[in-house]
Amino acid sequence: MEKVKKALTSNKMVTFVWVLGLIGVWEIGATVIAQSKRTPENVLPHLYQILDSVFSDKLINSTQTALQVVLSNAGITLIRALIGFLIGIAIGFILAFFMSMFKLVEKTFFPYLMIIQMIPILGMAPIILAVTKNIDSSRIVIAAILTFYPVATNTLAGFKAVEKEKRELMYSISATNFQIYSKLMVPSCMPYFFTGLKIAAPMAITASILVDTLQGGGGLGTMLSQSLKHAMSIYVFWQIVFFSAIIGILSYYLMVVIEKLLSPYKRIKKAKKGVSVVGD
Amino acid sequence: MDVAEKSETIYVKEMDDYKKMVEISVENLGVSFTDKEGGAPVVALQNINLEIMQGEFISLLGPSGCGKTTLLRTIADLQQPTSGKISVRGESPREIRSQKKYGIVFQNPVLYEWRTVRRNVCMPMEMMGIPKRDRTARVTKMLELVGLMEFGKKYPHELSGGMQQRVGIARALAIQPEILLMDEPFSALDEFTKEKLHEDLLRIWKKTNKTILFVTHNIQEAVFLSDRVVVLSPHPGRVSAVVDINLERPRDLSIKSSPEFNALVTKVRNSFEGV
Repeated sequence: MEKVKKALTSNKMVTFVWVLGLIGVWEIGATVIAQSKRTPENVLPHLYQILDSVFSDKLINSTQTALQVVLSNAGITLIRALIGFLIGIAIGFILAFFMSMFKLVEKTFFPYLMIIQMIPILGMAPIILAVTKNIDSSRIVIAAILTFYPVATNTLAGFKAVEKEKRELMYSISATNFQIYSKLMVPSCMPYFFTGLKIAAPMAITASILVDTLQGGGGLGTMLSQSLKHAMSIYVFWQIVFFSAIIGILSYYLMVVIEKLLSPYKRIKKAKKGVSVVGD
Repeated sequence: MDVAEKSETIYVKEMDDYKKMVEISVENLGVSFTDKEGGAPVVALQNINLEIMQGEFISLLGPSGCGKTTLLRTIADLQQPTSGKISVRGESPREIRSQKKYGIVFQNPVLYEWRTVRRNVCMPMEMMGIPKRDRTARVTKMLELVGLMEFGKKYPHELSGGMQQRVGIARALAIQPEILLMDEPFSALDEFTKEKLHEDLLRIWKKTNKTILFVTHNIQEAVFLSDRVVVLSPHPGRVSAVVDINLERPRDLSIKSSPEFNALVTKVRNSFEGV
């Protein structure tokens, strides 16, 4: 009985119920739509139809199936997103570092960083495109802009969260600034830094897809808008929707995994009661 | 050489010995804090005079707000004096700090949670550029000293509060400081753990011959551990008494029930002013 109760309230169970619920709602919606609309697949196809299109070997243009179209275009988009993400991380981290080193830098930059973040991406993208005149570099720049802010603010918060006593301990042994940062500040801000990465990773991907839609030349976003305009099978659109959702979630978990690999102490649970008795 | 001259010589020699023995001397020390809104400065310490001998275990005892931690921090060069002077072995606290002769233990263990116990103890030695082989040997020695040999590979969050504080002590001692500054190190621990650590601290002190400056608000703790208890009173922080604790050493917990111990506790308690 106890076990059943535990299993029912576990996190996995909650996720499972959510997924099941979503599928249920989707399918009910799809059934209703199928009876009332003339082209239900444009509004809400059944899930099995989408799955079917994933595994279908029917060519939707001269050379590729729907899945091949999605995957080949995903490559372009994701690589740009990744490059932008990495650049954003570097800029965000360096900025946080200088803001924590010099109060003046923080006072000068911090309020304006927020303004950049307030401009809607849809408004910013055409400007960036006009400046760079290149859809590829626009993708990178937009992904970088969206990445650097959460990374910079979270990392800065991490630097600020270092306890005064930890710094004083460093001071008491006359540690140099370099030692203070390399041995204390950077390692201790890692959880915050990774929080930034977890926020930024799906955003970088979303941004990169969004920028695609502005211009042709390949990429998930381009295919997405073509498919919506019925220039190709509508199932390309549905596949992209699911594909990018999955990639977004995976990118988040990738950050979780990397964090765990880099911080072994997080893998060990809190002290068991038996351990503490031994020492005292 | 006549008798008068001879006694003079002996006197001078004793004075010299005495001077050598003084580890920390605090003269007319005053520390005030100014608040940012430009209000009247708060006097944390006023006219403090104190001499701490080499190898002595001395406690700074007082209620909150008496400036006992401020005094420790000023000696540690974590706080600058407003007036007066501190000299440690004839040098300024800053020089002593840069020579890494202070070991500090805070109220919180202040361990680096991403480092194992061993690497926490090792950390200050890494900064000092001590070669790896020496570091490893010293860490082992220190963990043995504080009784944590089997816990070297654990992370801080796997340890109890008492064990974490032991790691803090091991880390402070690892750099082989001359002076151990302890700022209410046991105040967050339960009574049983605390008593065990008291005994262990006395053992470690005897073994290492460090001068220990121990800040506490616990009268029993101060009396049990110290050679002398410096009683501080608040508003403004000042020394209201220095009580010699001439209990026999080595001490164990049984002395806590002795009449001498209780007489000293009462004496210390009665020397507070204006609380």
